[in-house]
Amino acid sequence: MKIAGSAKLPFAAERAYAVMQDPLVLAKAIPGCDALEKTGEDEYRLKMKMVLASLSGSFEGKVRLTDSNPPRSFRMLVEGSGKIGFMKGDGLIQIASAPDGGVDISYEGDAQIGGTMAAVGNRMIDMTARMLIKRFFEKLAAEPA
Amino acid sequence: MSTTFAPSTTKLEKLVGKRLRRREDPRLITGTATYVEDVKLPDMHHAVIVRSPHGAADIRSIDISKAKALPGVVAVFTGADIVGVGTVPCGASLPGLRRPDHHILAQDRVYLVGHPVAVVVATDRYIAADGADLVEVEYDIKQAVTDPEKALAPGAPAVHSQWPDNVAFTFHQNGGDIDAAFAEAEVVVKQRITSQRLVPNAMETRGVVADWKTNDRSLTLYTSTQIPHLARTLLAGMLGIEENRFRLIAPEVGGGFGSKLNVYSEEALTAWVSMKIGKPVKWIESRRENFMVTIHGRGHVDYFEIAAKRDGTILGLKLKLIQDLGAFHQLLTPVIPTLSVLMMPGLYNFRNIQAEVVGTFTNCVPTDAYRGAGRPEATHGIERMVDILAAELGMDPAEIRFKNFVRPDQFPFPTATGLNYDSGDYANTFQKALDTIDYHGLRKQQAEARAAGRLMGIGISTYGEICAMGPSVATPAGGWESATVKFEPSGKVTVLTGTSPHGQGQETSFAQLTADELGVPIDDIVVLHGDTSIVQYGIGTFGSRNTAVGGAALFYALQEIKEKLKKFGAAMLKAEEVELGDGVCLNPKTGESVTVQEIAGAAYRGVVIPPGMDPGMVVTKFWEPANFTYPFGAHIIVSEVDAETGDIEIKRYVAVDDIGNQLNPLLVDGQLHGGAAQGLGQALWEQGVYDDNGQLVTGEFMDYTMPRARMMPWIESSHTCTPSPVNPLGAKGVGEAGTIGSTPAMVNSVVDALSPLGVRHIDMPLTPEKIWKLTNGRNA
Repeated sequence: MKIAGSAKLPFAAERAYAVMQDPLVLAKAIPGCDALEKTGEDEYRLKMKMVLASLSGSFEGKVRLTDSNPPRSFRMLVEGSGKIGFMKGDGLIQIASAPDGGVDISYEGDAQIGGTMAAVGNRMIDMTARMLIKRFFEKLAAEPA
Repeated sequence: MSTTFAPSTTKLEKLVGKRLRRREDPRLITGTATYVEDVKLPDMHHAVIVRSPHGAADIRSIDISKAKALPGVVAVFTGADIVGVGTVPCGASLPGLRRPDHHILAQDRVYLVGHPVAVVVATDRYIAADGADLVEVEYDIKQAVTDPEKALAPGAPAVHSQWPDNVAFTFHQNGGDIDAAFAEAEVVVKQRITSQRLVPNAMETRGVVADWKTNDRSLTLYTSTQIPHLARTLLAGMLGIEENRFRLIAPEVGGGFGSKLNVYSEEALTAWVSMKIGKPVKWIESRRENFMVTIHGRGHVDYFEIAAKRDGTILGLKLKLIQDLGAFHQLLTPVIPTLSVLMMPGLYNFRNIQAEVVGTFTNCVPTDAYRGAGRPEATHGIERMVDILAAELGMDPAEIRFKNFVRPDQFPFPTATGLNYDSGDYANTFQKALDTIDYHGLRKQQAEARAAGRLMGIGISTYGEICAMGPSVATPAGGWESATVKFEPSGKVTVLTGTSPHGQGQETSFAQLTADELGVPIDDIVVLHGDTSIVQYGIGTFGSRNTAVGGAALFYALQEIKEKLKKFGAAMLKAEEVELGDGVCLNPKTGESVTVQEIAGAAYRGVVIPPGMDPGMVVTKFWEPANFTYPFGAHIIVSEVDAETGDIEIKRYVAVDDIGNQLNPLLVDGQLHGGAAQGLGQALWEQGVYDDNGQLVTGEFMDYTMPRARMMPWIESSHTCTPSPVNPLGAKGVGEAGTIGSTPAMVNSVVDALSPLGVRHIDMPLTPEKIWKLTNGRNA
């Protein structure tokens, strides 16, 4: 599944880049996130709850940040699995300063899901992913500038 | 000993040919039938299977410690534990067939989503399910391949690393002189036609209860199967136990459609677990598992080429058939496409064929027999090709069929594929269908509809099929069938059939036949099946064989027991010659008589034993057919397409089927209706879809469109009858006819409706989305 889209944050590029790397902020912003621990340089352990159509379950996984190019871009790799299946994603996040003083964020990547989620939730995944990403950026935008 | 004899004073009504309601129905519709799930044994444990979420992956590690620690969990087993258990059997004997080892639990790699990795056994099903969630498997995910054409492309991921080309076998069948036919041809048309994966979806999912008695070294296995005896023989081999200590019971079976004509990992696994823990164990397949790991049907990509003269005479047919086999061979996986090839000539009188089957591994669940098993794919292909040829030549699709039918005087008709069609009058049956629907009137209506901008279509399918499987030489495990007829000392009759009916209604139709032959009331007859400790042996129920093979075996058993009744009757009446009829043995000279019930009682008491006869009144007969039977028919569907929404409305559905003689026309109707529902399901709605990573994305009824009652048209069904000369009943078989005839009629109808838009072919299913794109000028 291809995932691509854009969002706006009311921050300067450096601040936008920093909030997206801050485990405390991310833990608050990732919908359903129960825990996000730093386990190494640019590596985190993630625990989150996921609800997809009639399915719900907790996921455990890893988040890795690579190709860091502050404050313009980085790549995020997510891998997780749980009772209702697994997910794997790889996306490039780019930050561009906008005329209004904020930033335009664009993201682009691939996501793979499997297990029960794929078998029974397939038609809901696109919509759910979009909704989760939208909520994520809304939460980020509520952070102090 | 005193025995009560049933009075036999009134002449009994003949029952064969009557529309008797099924005697099975009261228990089925009141919820009192016993399915596997209803079997509850003392101290029964429950198994839940941990399955792969990946289409292709190496197993790095499995951690069962948390699952084992869960209170109530009794045992957890993985692939490392199943040492000595045989692999899942495949009955195919194609030359050069590559056979991957199909272990009942994955060893170091998983090959499809749903591949069993571990089994958790607990005192309760819910605890077992919780335990299964606690099994931690670490995978190294590999690239899967799910599309058979992509699997054949160079550089595709190898499903089995030892065979990087993903080819399991190639099979060629040639007949006549194909090169001469194509050289002589004035017209050649080609078309790629697919027949998508279908999920059989029996109403009852699979299920197993295994009860191992350690001290007796005996196993009783309840399983939802169509082939109790064959399953016992094969499972006994896998488990290393003796058949005579292994009782297999197929209790009430809630539909199979071929998906239970198999031996599955879970049957052996549940039995093995019971043997391991020394307790009864139950495994019940969930609906999601049923979608994932019970065999799928169809899965063809076919490239057809048809050669003809300008006058419509078909000269020859070429086919390249790419069969999506899935990751393993189940019982008949590689055999099914070879049946398609056999059926290639359809009802037509051409003698030149060339077929190549490429059996292709994919990271999907295996395909295998699903209602029609190879013949619907072939019939759909031929019937589409004939229509495409007619369109190319500007001929009427009815006219081109009449031109090419095998004629009645040509039977028995040897086909280019080595079959010998038994009997038929194809033109007569087709004419009846055309008259019923007023074909010429319809074409006028269609012209008017088109002038008014409406998209009306008339679709014809004149199908043939191979039924009554079959002669033993042509089947992997024997094609005969058996029957026992047993008078109890009280005069009641027990029939044991080696077939294993699961909805077909033989408890009724075989009782009708028995009642007529013996002249006993139908209420005095019980038909038993599906228990290897009760029934002698049998091949089972599939390939439209119950009546034409099992019924024929019963017929011969009845003839033999009638002879025995006559001998005993003659001895009792002290007569030289006796007549047997209407349940009475009569000395025509004296007018004295005894009833068959009295004869049976006497035969058990042994008071009068005629010379050369043994006491008792039991006959068992095994019967081997000399040929398949070849039912045929004509289905015509009138449809109208809504260009705005892509919706298809079926206006009329006329079916004229020739299935030979019928024991019970009500049961025949039921088979035809059910078959048509499944055939229309394939034509219009159903498709099993895997994504490129091996995920089955149609894994439940929300994503897989099963036909519902309200989506079905009224079927105007009638018959012609050319009795089969192959068996004494003259029956041909009807289990699959509806599925085979309906699909191409539906697709031909919609293609005909859209032909003014230049549409020549549409691959199934004809979803509104696909149709809308065509009516709105977009590529489908």
